[in-house]
Amino acid sequence: METNFLYTLFAGGAIAAAGGMIGSFALLRRMALVGDALSHVALPGIALGIIFNFNPFLGAFAFLALGTLIIWAVEHRTKLPVETLVGVVFTLALAVGALLSTEEELLEVLFGDISKVGGLDVFIAVSVSLLIMALLLLFYKKFALTLMSPDLSLSVGYKPHLLELLFLTIFALGIAAGIKFTGVLLIGSIIIIPAATARNIAWSMKSYIWLSSVLGVSWAALGIFAAKALGLAPGPLFVIVAGFLFFISVLFRRN
Amino acid sequence: MSILEIKNLKVGPKNGNILDAVSFSLEKGDSLAVIGPNGAGKTTLFRAILGAVPYSGEIIKDKNVRIGYVPQKVDLERDLPITVGEFLSLREHAAEAQNWKGDHSYLGALKAVGLGKEFLNTKIGELSSGELQRSLIAWAVVGHPDLLMFDEPTASVDIAGQETVYELLHKLQDEHGLTLMLISHDLSVVYKYANNVLCLNKAQTCFGQPSEVLNSKELEKLYGGGGKLYHHMH
Repeated sequence: METNFLYTLFAGGAIAAAGGMIGSFALLRRMALVGDALSHVALPGIALGIIFNFNPFLGAFAFLALGTLIIWAVEHRTKLPVETLVGVVFTLALAVGALLSTEEELLEVLFGDISKVGGLDVFIAVSVSLLIMALLLLFYKKFALTLMSPDLSLSVGYKPHLLELLFLTIFALGIAAGIKFTGVLLIGSIIIIPAATARNIAWSMKSYIWLSSVLGVSWAALGIFAAKALGLAPGPLFVIVAGFLFFISVLFRRN
Repeated sequence: MSILEIKNLKVGPKNGNILDAVSFSLEKGDSLAVIGPNGAGKTTLFRAILGAVPYSGEIIKDKNVRIGYVPQKVDLERDLPITVGEFLSLREHAAEAQNWKGDHSYLGALKAVGLGKEFLNTKIGELSSGELQRSLIAWAVVGHPDLLMFDEPTASVDIAGQETVYELLHKLQDEHGLTLMLISHDLSVVYKYANNVLCLNKAQTCFGQPSEVLNSKELEKLYGGGGKLYHHMH
């Protein structure tokens, strides 16, 4: 098999595994759409990376970290509804990003192109994904409790604000690592769809978290193989496969 | 030494428009009922004690006090993919992480609330309302808390033939020497289970022993004239 295809498979699989796991935690708090909107803030960062010739991952992560801090600070310091602010700040970021990018770049940034990845990109994607999964598993019980109920988390002496910031940072890291492959518009699907599907069929928290990750990896692999066979882009194929299977899982929904 | 002391507590953007001038203290083994109409700030008082809302004034907790908090059932999403055993293990993990002394295994807590081991693998979404409430109480007593805060005004609804949740709390209090704070709408519960009562209507309108402070004048002030006041002496 050609190197490029293997690269794609490795990077795509790693990101889907980490993304699914992030999603399983995010959906405990119905944060799916906040995360999806957050991904838009990466756009100016990527554009700056392309213009000034540095790795777009760094630009994306810098902007995402800033966006994360804004969400976090606003949620805790003011009474402004987060959704309102997310809507304003992130479409603003999208607009700035759109002005900074050329039309061709914009298409690539919005939908990604996993077939254009180099060795360094794969290395970053795989190591960041492993780091994300390690952190999530290490703090699994603290994150789960804090995301389910910040008040219960407080009652046992945790600091939910800090745990939320840590979780959002991990979230931002996942988006930054995945965005080159799926693009700004589709990264949300890697995080949301496997976890939403797993939630329909899981019988426990453990099964939910692992299923989210495993479903993400298998659909990514399926999408990438299908893309090669059909000569199409893998990102949209992943979303189509995932979306279809999500609706099937609804039929098996427990409770 | 008080387990909890609150001095001139105010909560709200305009310094006191959610809670104003609340002051009281709790000794070990007390059971305090917090009563007041809807929107009186009862839950806010609990959340201030937890540290979930900004406040002015003082909330002095005994050093190392372990809090068991039972939120209202509606505060927890029902379709979360988590089993009762996993849910309880979250607090067991916290007890270990915080180096709480003593046995904090959740099996004892489950038994204490009258739920069998078969519930360990049941998802919380599959529980009945009464079972969920018991699971939340079991959660709160993992790790043997000193102060149990119970926020559920509709707690008297339970499966027929079983002890009510208040009897259960009373039993836990006797067995573990708990200090109890409970929010209730039911004055019969206050007379039966509380040795102190705090009346809240944004501001504190009374504090003391129920038989002393709960007269019809006080209740009228709290709930407004014309409201149905009821209490059954047991």
